[in-house]
Amino acid sequence: MGGELRYEIGQTAYIKLVLHALKHKTAAVNGVLLGRLSDGDAVEIADAVPLFHSHLGLLPPLEIALLQIEEYYGAQGMAIVGYFHANERFNDFELSNVARNIGDHVHRYFPQAALLLLDSKKLEALPKGKDRSPVMQLYTKDSSKSWKQVGSDGSSRFSIKEPSANIVLLDYISTQKMQDMVDFDDHLDDISKDWLNPELGK
Amino acid sequence: MVSKTEEAQVNRLENQVDNGGGGAWEYLCLVRKLKLRRSDKVLKHGLSILNDPSKRSSLGHEEWTLYEQVAIAAMDCQCLDVAKGCINVLQKKFPGSKRVGRLEAMLLEAKGSWAEAGKAYSSLLEDNALDQVIHKRRAAMEKAQGNLSGAIECLNKYLEIFMADHDAWRELAEIYVSLQMYKQAAFCYEELILSQPTNPLCHLAYADVLYTVGGLENLQAAKKYYASVIDLTGGKNTRALFGICLCTCAIGQLTKGRNKEEKESLELQSLAATALEKDYKQIAPSKLSLLRSTLKSLKLA
Repeated sequence: MGGELRYEIGQTAYIKLVLHALKHKTAAVNGVLLGRLSDGDAVEIADAVPLFHSHLGLLPPLEIALLQIEEYYGAQGMAIVGYFHANERFNDFELSNVARNIGDHVHRYFPQAALLLLDSKKLEALPKGKDRSPVMQLYTKDSSKSWKQVGSDGSSRFSIKEPSANIVLLDYISTQKMQDMVDFDDHLDDISKDWLNPELGK
Repeated sequence: MVSKTEEAQVNRLENQVDNGGGGAWEYLCLVRKLKLRRSDKVLKHGLSILNDPSKRSSLGHEEWTLYEQVAIAAMDCQCLDVAKGCINVLQKKFPGSKRVGRLEAMLLEAKGSWAEAGKAYSSLLEDNALDQVIHKRRAAMEKAQGNLSGAIECLNKYLEIFMADHDAWRELAEIYVSLQMYKQAAFCYEELILSQPTNPLCHLAYADVLYTVGGLENLQAAKKYYASVIDLTGGKNTRALFGICLCTCAIGQLTKGRNKEEKESLELQSLAATALEKDYKQIAPSKLSLLRSTLKSLKLA
């Protein structure tokens, strides 16, 4: 099931999620991962939609968001393949109950679901090194029915598709690109704001 | 909680100052008044005034208020040297001041010296037991250390004395929501609605919590509160319009086979749906078909 599956996240999805977290440094944020199972041995995370930066534990906005997101990406042959969460505090590496619950929901429809947790320490260290690995921790739900971290031993089960993604990310950070990120919260407050973030998809 | 107009106003000013159009002092005053957390901007623009002797002297007595505002912003941005510099200036001007003492304790907090900061706050409280800021800093320290139950305890004790502090009720509600303690969050929002009955945001948060808890009674109550948000905002709140649709759908699922409920609820839902379609058509046409299918799946329950 979730045995030796590889997880690969595309640059666009990766950057959207990190920029969203950086836009709201003082809050917990979350997002959904879109993609597909490819060749039966890898989960391809092709895109991401940043969801909320406040009241992550409330259902109504989440339900509306998931309905619209499933509809849009379903038409493109993609499904919700995971969930992203960034904790409020810098050195907090715990999976909150909200993260687990939403992760469980995604897992019900996609058993190979990926739960990504932002690694803020790794993110902080990014400008100082040449790390090409994602600044996130990957959790999957194994047969014991609990979320377990994958690849913390530096194995290559979780990687970014484009090797220079972190360089692009750092460039975007230096040009304050995170201010342009639109999440579903922003959309609900002003529907003219597009949660697809089309300019960042290029 | 800031209204849309206030937020638009402050954003406009921020843009203006960012692009060199002046108005820094006006911007800083507005941020202070609305109690917004925009520390990187406050730091940048506040320092540009403080580092310029002529701009500084034109502030008169307000100079010291700005030093305090910049000190706090610097601490939030982890620019502790800048914060120390501002505090030193204030110490020289107001030796022995409790207000400056409070800033010194906050600096200890910013450095992560929790125990020392706690001691400093306690001794400050000995002389002034009713200092609301210090009481709340103690709750903030618990939260910063990841001790959410400690923060909850602090806030509850605080609210027993200062029960009119809306910000504290809101903070407590948000902590409860993050821990999925929805009933307790609901209680906080009830207090807020009692004291601010015409603030639609309180009604909205309360409705969201009620919906999240679920069950027929809560869903029916949630629908009423979404309706009051629509009433208070002249139908302009997208979240409330969606809320009506979600509630009607969920209530319909729970009362399947019972005829009474269905007739009255459908009217409200179709009004909300029509309003949403109109808004999306006008403002977000690219999302209109997505909206329509969302509404369709909500009606089909």
